[in-house]
Amino acid sequence: MRIAIAGKGGSGKTTISGTLARLLAQAGRQVVAVDADTNPNLATTLGLQPERVQHIVALPRSLLKRETQPDGSMTSTFLRDPMEVLEEYGTRAPDGVRLVVMGAVGHGGAG
Amino acid sequence: MCGAHATVRGFLGELVAKAPDAFDIVVDMEAGLEHLSRGTGKHVSRFLAVVEPYYRSMETARRVADLAAELGIAEVSAILNKVRTAADHDAVSEFCAAHKMKIAGEIPYDLGLADAERAGQPPLDFSPDTPSVTAMRKLAADLIATG
Repeated sequence: MRIAIAGKGGSGKTTISGTLARLLAQAGRQVVAVDADTNPNLATTLGLQPERVQHIVALPRSLLKRETQPDGSMTSTFLRDPMEVLEEYGTRAPDGVRLVVMGAVGHGGAG
Repeated sequence: MCGAHATVRGFLGELVAKAPDAFDIVVDMEAGLEHLSRGTGKHVSRFLAVVEPYYRSMETARRVADLAAELGIAEVSAILNKVRTAADHDAVSEFCAAHKMKIAGEIPYDLGLADAERAGQPPLDFSPDTPSVTAMRKLAADLIATG
């Protein structure tokens, strides 16, 4: 299954996301948890220790090549094998959940 | 579209294309509504909106549902959260019925979560049998059962 959990800040969405990810993993499933919040704290909810949270590397934008076409539209090409990216950037969390964190929003580049 | 969101979207798109059934993917979306127009949720099959029993939260959920419908995102269902009383339950249930949102699960208001938060630990480890965690366990089982 592929689910996205949305809600206002403080609604409990991160607690629910992290707990569900762990419970799915405990049920024997391979789980990729993605922190796409601009204020990321899914790692802690998953149970990663603070010293490991510090060392999480977010997905760099260099993984995506974005080009403006002559007609003005924008195309995106993901440049790497997603399994390799998961190995490289996926942090192992309790129960075998792999956590991938979105990079900081709004600095430089195309923004 | 913001580069960080586009990168996540690109990664999820490739992962789903390469290994469609290998992984369960759980995306913790950003708090606002912008992620929907940025397409971060494009590669998910179910969209779950956390709804609390108070007006502004329900209003946000309504906008999420409207926007998701506009963008053609599969299905939006609600997770009722922090439900304290029968009146809470009725208010959010009526809201969901009025806006044709299915209810995926209901999680009670639970001080056990605040205890886990204070201890800096996941509720699942700190208080595995607290009522909210029990409700989330049921939600996970239901999600697995319904795919």
